[in-house]
Amino acid sequence: MRDGSLTSKQYAELASPADLMQREWAPCRYHCPVHADVRAYIEHAAAGRFGAAIDTIRDNLPFAAICGRICHHPCEANCRREDVDSALAIREVKRFVAELQGAKGSTVRKAAKQDKAKVAIIGAGPAGMAAALDLAKLGYRPTVFEKFPFAGGIPATAIPKYRLPREVIQIDIDWICAHGVELVTGVEIGKDKSIEQLKAEGFSAVLVAAGLAKSRMLPLPGADHPLVRPVLDFLQEISLTEKSAIGQDVLVIGGGNVAVDAARSALRLGAKRVRMMCLEAEAEMPAWEWERTEAREEGIDFINRRGPVEILVKSGKITGVKARKVTRVFDENKRFNPQYDDGDVTTVECDCVVMAIGQMADLGFARGSNVKADARGRVEFSPVTFQTSDPAVFACGEIVTPPGSAVEACASGQRAVKAIDLFLSGRAIRLSDELPPFIGKIAPAVGEKVRQVPRNKVATADAAGRKSSFEPVDFNYVEAAALCEARRCMGCGGGAEVLVDKCAGCLTCLRVCPFGIPKVADVATIDSALCQACGMCAAECPNNAIVSRSKPARDLATRTAAILKDKPGQVIAYICGQHASAEKWKAITEVPEVNEVYVTSTAGISVNDMLSALVNGASSLLVIACHEGADRYPNAVGRIRARVMQAKSLIQEAGLNGERIKLFELA
Amino acid sequence: MIVAERKPLNEIVQSLAGRKRVLVLGCGGCVAVCCSGGEKQAELLGEQLKLAAQVACKAASGGEEAARGGTAAPGGKVEITVDCITRQCDREFFANMKHDLKDFDVVLSTACGVGVGYMTALYPEKVILPALNTTFYGANVAPGQWQEFCHGCGDCVLAWTGGVCPIARCSKSLINGACGGTNHGKCEVSKDMDCAWYLIYKRLKELGRLEDLRKMRPARQWSKDRGKGVRRLTHEELMQDTEVQK
Repeated sequence: MRDGSLTSKQYAELASPADLMQREWAPCRYHCPVHADVRAYIEHAAAGRFGAAIDTIRDNLPFAAICGRICHHPCEANCRREDVDSALAIREVKRFVAELQGAKGSTVRKAAKQDKAKVAIIGAGPAGMAAALDLAKLGYRPTVFEKFPFAGGIPATAIPKYRLPREVIQIDIDWICAHGVELVTGVEIGKDKSIEQLKAEGFSAVLVAAGLAKSRMLPLPGADHPLVRPVLDFLQEISLTEKSAIGQDVLVIGGGNVAVDAARSALRLGAKRVRMMCLEAEAEMPAWEWERTEAREEGIDFINRRGPVEILVKSGKITGVKARKVTRVFDENKRFNPQYDDGDVTTVECDCVVMAIGQMADLGFARGSNVKADARGRVEFSPVTFQTSDPAVFACGEIVTPPGSAVEACASGQRAVKAIDLFLSGRAIRLSDELPPFIGKIAPAVGEKVRQVPRNKVATADAAGRKSSFEPVDFNYVEAAALCEARRCMGCGGGAEVLVDKCAGCLTCLRVCPFGIPKVADVATIDSALCQACGMCAAECPNNAIVSRSKPARDLATRTAAILKDKPGQVIAYICGQHASAEKWKAITEVPEVNEVYVTSTAGISVNDMLSALVNGASSLLVIACHEGADRYPNAVGRIRARVMQAKSLIQEAGLNGERIKLFELA
Repeated sequence: MIVAERKPLNEIVQSLAGRKRVLVLGCGGCVAVCCSGGEKQAELLGEQLKLAAQVACKAASGGEEAARGGTAAPGGKVEITVDCITRQCDREFFANMKHDLKDFDVVLSTACGVGVGYMTALYPEKVILPALNTTFYGANVAPGQWQEFCHGCGDCVLAWTGGVCPIARCSKSLINGACGGTNHGKCEVSKDMDCAWYLIYKRLKELGRLEDLRKMRPARQWSKDRGKGVRRLTHEELMQDTEVQK
């Protein structure tokens, strides 16, 4: 979809050329709950600019390191590359960048002045910490109260360390706290201190981000046995002590991700047999497919479509669970509404049960406050204003939203901050939900011209070895793999835009586009949903009538001039993004010091860019292209050969040695 | 479309004759379409001039140091500025220039000769120099290739020559058939050049219209070509009560 045509006047009046990116988002950004600028940070990563990459990630996503490990990555699920070969491993690139940079390698952008109202936040999980960060950035003074001795919420207390090591969580917590967020651990609001006391201490607003802190249980006969473990108690105990009471034959009841975590943790504590039992058939299970696969690899079996009736206890020991057949889980309206066949009841042997059928809110924080619960026992809450029954007490995260992942909790916390900011500035609370449209699927005719590059696999620990310890089950990319993976990004939404008043309809774009995308009626039109952002047309357009949505006009020349301003007389190398190793080409030249300038492909380097580099003081220019067929864009190598030849002849005409511009095509 | 090609840089530098403040002015019309004089090519020429000036400066200082910041050419420092307008053959578009002509000693136009000539008429106080040689009226026969198809003779004969122009495409602009220099379909001027009259004959034969060649025709009015000096076109219905433009 296009917002209409663009003129050079409108383009010149943009506050930033990057505003064009708001015309349409890439689906990865649109579907990310915090709308992280995925295309931008992946491009930084692809260029090896890991500092810029982590800063761009953290612009929207405070829990970059945590999400690098455990995000359910809707960005990947909506990646347009899926229709070319396979989705980009966005989470793995993020994980590499976040853990490489650490807390110290991420820029802290503190508010110039932090002198606005004090705000108390209950709970240091993803929602609370994300909110605290945004409040601090806006100049408020946030204090986060956490009942556990450390921050992180569910990721720190209930997600097993084999999926999320504690030091990874600390990266995000340290970075957030560096913004002027005060963290008070070991204090439980409602027990050690009430909301009313917080107000008396000068907090102008309170944000409840307490999450779902209690495990749901079933009132079954025998459920009061000490080895019928509520899942959160079980996981939290492991998180704190690496131990928990468990039997030899464990049955986990539940089919979600938390249930899988519990099952795999039980195995690591030494259980001989671990099985999961749930109402759903395998395909209906809420646990992610990759979680199920890894569990199965470790020897965990699933008992599907069975609902527990009774915990059988004999001589004080659990002997099994009586379970009946499930005939359906969801009704015609896709609502959870299970039905059973009471004539089909079996006994599942076990000596320990973990109840992992869901979590619920613990409203203990509300004791002694005006915060009320609704008829269903949930916090009374307006999803429009984020306020509870006390207008100065707000709520966010899973305590008021459907259960979700860490990134969804962050998004909720960030929105709550917008509401709190309006409230504390004495304005009406109205939040906009408007987002730019997103680009649709890639057309098959274009998709088949995109060069296929297989997804870089993540190394995983051998199932037999990993199931006996809480050591991580998979490993970070090495740098080469991270670069290679990031370079698979198609840069959706960053493509070409025609300045209609400058277009002479010369057809050059149509002739040079390797994907056959431009159409020329009176003037050229380039369908942004199809454009692959190779830059070929912009580099050749004789009227400079084509601009990039993702880069300012003459970006390469400007970047080069900035390098040369400090160090005139240097060698500049424009290096094709397909080159994972700069060492490779350094070996073939005897140039002592070269300023490397990364380009996504040589397709976008114009003859003007080459001449500008010399005008701005480069002693010589090396163009490092990859060999034919390796470039992400068809015909890129042929084009750059022709352009280098033209540039050489033009500088020779000006009296320079043509050898000051050199092209290398490297295998 | 008017086709033009860039002059050699040397000739351009010579014509600048040491003028210091240069505006390279591109044209977004025909010369942009044939990739010789649009904004991009105007910028390229600007960069070339700066490089040439740096080389000259280096030579003047014994080749030791390159000039940076400003640029130099024989005769001292020069400033190169680049601009481009939609067309240089219409008065109104000059109002869109981003720069003031007052600030320049010379305009180096990358338009065709029409642009250079018209601009000279519009701005008689300015020196307007051509950066292109205007070559022909042509078509883009393949990516990167343009070829002459019309001469602008003012008295079109394509109706009875099968769409092949003898004025533009015959080396002698003959109107009465091939001369003795025709050679197996090629012109004696160059073996790479088709004989226009051979093409005409072939085309009319294909069309079954060879009879057209036997028809007696009145003498051709060469006065419609360059014979009567500057040619004008007048559409009375479009004329306004203003002074006829130069």
